[in-house]
Amino acid sequence: MAVADVLFFLEHNPVMQKRVVHIETTGPKSPEYGTLHTPLNEATAEFLEQRGIRLYTHQCEAINHIRNGKNVILTTPTASGKTLAFNIPVFEGIEADPQARALYLYPTKALANDQLATLKQMVHFTGISASPAIYDGDTPQSKRPAIRTNARIIVSNPYEIHQVLAWHAKWREFLSNLRFVVIDEAHRYRGVFGSHIAMLIRRLLRLCRHYASDPQIILSTATLANPLEFAGRLTGRSFELVDRDASPHGKNHFVLYNPYYDGIGDRSTHEETKDLLGTCIRGNLQTLCFTASRKMAELVAVWARDDARRFSSRLAGAIATYRAGYLPEERRAIERQLKDGSMKGVVSTNALELGIDIGSLDAVIISGYPGTMMATRQQAGRAGRKGDPSLAILVAQANPLDQYFMHHPGQFFSRSHEHAIIDTQNPYIVSGHMLCAAAELPLQDEIDVQFFGDAFPFLLLELASQNLLKQTPHGWVYGGRGRAADAVNLDGTGCETFRILCNGRLLETMDRAHVYREAHKGAIMLHQGEIYVVRELDLETHTVRVAETDVDYYTQPLKEVNLAVIGTLETRTINGVTCSFGDVEVTELYTGYKVKRKDTIIGVEPLVLPPLTFRTTAFWFIPPADVEQRVAESGLDLAGGLHGTEHAIIALMPLHVMCDRWDIGGLSSPVYGESGEPTIFVYDAYEGGVGLAEKAYEILPELFATSYELVRDCQCEKGCPSCIYSPKCGNDNQPLDKEATILIFKQLCEPPKK
Amino acid sequence: MATSHPTARIGALWQQRLETLREYEVIRDGNIFRTSFSDNYVFSSEYDRGRCLLSRLMDQYQGVPFGSVFSGEELVNEGGSCFLLDSCHKITAGAVDLGRIRSEILGDLTLIRGIGETTQRRLKARGYQTIGDLLDHPRFRIQAVQVLGHLNCAGSSEMMSLIGRRHSMSHPGVLGMAGFQEPEDYVFLDIETLGLFSRPIILFGVGTVENGKLSVHQYLLRDIHEEQAALIAACGHLSGDRPALVTFNGKSFDLPYLQERLAYYGMGNASQIPHFDVLHFSRRRWRGQVPSLRLGVLEKEIFGIYRNDDIPGQMVPEFYETYLNTKNCGPLVPVVEHNRQDVVSLALLFFRLLGDFYGCC
Repeated sequence: MAVADVLFFLEHNPVMQKRVVHIETTGPKSPEYGTLHTPLNEATAEFLEQRGIRLYTHQCEAINHIRNGKNVILTTPTASGKTLAFNIPVFEGIEADPQARALYLYPTKALANDQLATLKQMVHFTGISASPAIYDGDTPQSKRPAIRTNARIIVSNPYEIHQVLAWHAKWREFLSNLRFVVIDEAHRYRGVFGSHIAMLIRRLLRLCRHYASDPQIILSTATLANPLEFAGRLTGRSFELVDRDASPHGKNHFVLYNPYYDGIGDRSTHEETKDLLGTCIRGNLQTLCFTASRKMAELVAVWARDDARRFSSRLAGAIATYRAGYLPEERRAIERQLKDGSMKGVVSTNALELGIDIGSLDAVIISGYPGTMMATRQQAGRAGRKGDPSLAILVAQANPLDQYFMHHPGQFFSRSHEHAIIDTQNPYIVSGHMLCAAAELPLQDEIDVQFFGDAFPFLLLELASQNLLKQTPHGWVYGGRGRAADAVNLDGTGCETFRILCNGRLLETMDRAHVYREAHKGAIMLHQGEIYVVRELDLETHTVRVAETDVDYYTQPLKEVNLAVIGTLETRTINGVTCSFGDVEVTELYTGYKVKRKDTIIGVEPLVLPPLTFRTTAFWFIPPADVEQRVAESGLDLAGGLHGTEHAIIALMPLHVMCDRWDIGGLSSPVYGESGEPTIFVYDAYEGGVGLAEKAYEILPELFATSYELVRDCQCEKGCPSCIYSPKCGNDNQPLDKEATILIFKQLCEPPKK
Repeated sequence: MATSHPTARIGALWQQRLETLREYEVIRDGNIFRTSFSDNYVFSSEYDRGRCLLSRLMDQYQGVPFGSVFSGEELVNEGGSCFLLDSCHKITAGAVDLGRIRSEILGDLTLIRGIGETTQRRLKARGYQTIGDLLDHPRFRIQAVQVLGHLNCAGSSEMMSLIGRRHSMSHPGVLGMAGFQEPEDYVFLDIETLGLFSRPIILFGVGTVENGKLSVHQYLLRDIHEEQAALIAACGHLSGDRPALVTFNGKSFDLPYLQERLAYYGMGNASQIPHFDVLHFSRRRWRGQVPSLRLGVLEKEIFGIYRNDDIPGQMVPEFYETYLNTKNCGPLVPVVEHNRQDVVSLALLFFRLLGDFYGCC
């Protein structure tokens, strides 16, 4: 019972026991097996038998639905056999109809490669001639025609589909016979990215309609709070939900581990992670450790190996890193070693969260809250072999969100899953895909409104007014210059791409905002664990030239934000505070950057960059005059209070609205606008808005309440990284006043006294 | 709750974003090295000349109505309307020595699968001089019958693709098959487009031989909504009795582009007809002897044709867009002229190559 031993150690070791703030134990749970309405064909049945697989209830449910022609969304946890649940009926469909085709979409090439291997295995054992093939940016031109003609299952990614839809004439046969569209890891398609993918899927379905096919859609996702709403928004179709996990689970112990339990934390999260990894491995637990960055993955592994060497060199050799950017052979070797047990500890970034098949392990260490419960559960779900006990540990970082969970374990374990937001009405996103669609087939007023929603007629006219669309007797045709698909970037509404070059070699690409923030002249940049310094930022040619360097400092940009209200759409009063929602225009100006070593500022350099302006949606509120008065009477700083309130709200928004805190921006001012009232703004950091501020506006009282709790319950005296300090503040976290923040939150959360 | 607040900035926003997309790269004159990175480049001197020409034409044609710039007629069909410009050009289509083509093909035993150079030498030594002789050969008899069958419906795509498969698509024998067509069967095609892909074709130039002369029919879009009508009219030429398509780089560009536009309007595929891509034969004939295998360079080197006020093909989109945005016909003038000359040079090159390879001396 190695898990029990390690657990005992954590609870009794004098150093560690203080950091263990909570242990949640669940399970065990035995498997439930289901039955199919009609039995499997012989080859498939034999395929399963050889592997000792019996289908669980949820797998049978999915297969029954898919066989009945239904669209299905599968949301059971990691390692519950989702892939098999859709591969079986797809193969059946392909065998029954020799013309039938299927399209599998994966968010990354690595995942597509893994799925291809699984599909080939199924072909091998079932003898069904699916001829699966990958079709993506790496597919040579010379092989493409044959794949389009011969492959009956094509595995691709959204970026590729975005580019190929305009070539639909070449895909005529494939599209005409498309029976299944499988979208795996679909929860990745949320927020701005998801809204783009939703439009891309509509463009695909529009072409299917043109070629008289009507494919079934199968979605596989992590557990979500709103699976059916999500599926509907992503595809525009209605779905059957399969969400009850019937696979077996052993007893699981989930440990919340807080290096900052005393409010100080003399060792970093990463060092603590390294120690925990060592403890687990020495306890003979096969352990997977997730870190926030590639660099940390490498460092934690190096440190853990150094420590392990003191015990045995064999143990040191059984620790490896596994991250994106590794060659497939390297990854395969690690996967093999994990399966045969010779590998004991693997440190990874979230590449493994994405469903790469290495099976399950004994323990999982998550270094820092990964931002969503969804990711937390996906990562923790890696712990636990069939029926055996398992251990999961979340190591907190100093930031407010992690600390909030450490102080409120009940909150953490009872948290519902996140809502996956998709906005199919975002006019900026919809209009871009309308341009792409118009370049694929002329847009028809009556028919295409079903794909592009209520704003369609308005947007047609708007785009036509700039000659981007032209009305013809055959519908609206694309009239802009270049290729519409090149102007629409699926990862965000920004389409400008800057190339980061090191000695002429392309390191990566970034959009303008990222460049201003992370790749301005003089910035220190990290890429694949290597350190680079930006030598030149050429705005004209969209090129950033960097050079390798080896420095121990880093840079942080200084940003000024200005904001103008364009129009107020809604107003509500919460506890006497006027709150509004509407359109705003944000201007961001990068004025300089700080050079820092650890936490010490060793210099400040000026920057000259043109301002970034974008229109978005925001909520804002004006604390009433008596709060202002009370703050003043108590000798506190109003500006610091407003600023702290803004930070706390932004810190907790990801709890309520699925987003990253980098997806949201904020601005607070004690004298805003012409009326000179104190105001706090929180806005979506994307052109046009993506519904984040909008969703938050709906649940403002809850957002205020949790933010208040965060600040009030924090042990610190004058504010700390756990409450009102923001890691992304452009103003150096100045001014900040915790007491004033609490006064303001009191007003926001308590009904005004008569 | 209101979820969309479309603003009137959206059109302008996309316009601005699309403006930044470049369809070609301007590179410094003589920087041949850079040309290998992009097949879509314009030398800066050409670019500057093009921009100069554009502004001169804008001045010159300011306020001049379309009808007095172009003398042609409106064409109306089921796809709508477009504008047709006809012109006539002198060409010399020399006689082709069909006998020689036939005997070359018949003497080429390697056209038969399983016969390489070595086997051919052995067979010839044993008296099998022609494919006809192979009718008596136990192993190759059946294939010989097939090949002779292809040859007898001469000019057919089968024979062309057989030669292409066994040798290469630029093999003179492939071109030779054109000799079996009547000159009236040839359809010389060159299109001008608004971009590299998925944009309208704005001008279709179709050349046909009528009464020993080259007639060039140009179907011009006065606005891009006229594309379907022009597409129907141009494709009409491809469905004659036994048409054969002749293009310059059409296998990679013009024909796939045409297919995409047909699919865009849901009009199905263009019919499969023999297609002679003059670029391939020119490459075999003149590679290394001319500075570049661009059509404009070949016509200058071989026929001494110098174009006045020509525009680089890459700049056609911006000329046409200027016309669309301003309704000033000036920018259309060199586009139409450029296309007409392309069709004429294409026909000249084609007959020249046919003559060079198979002419009667």
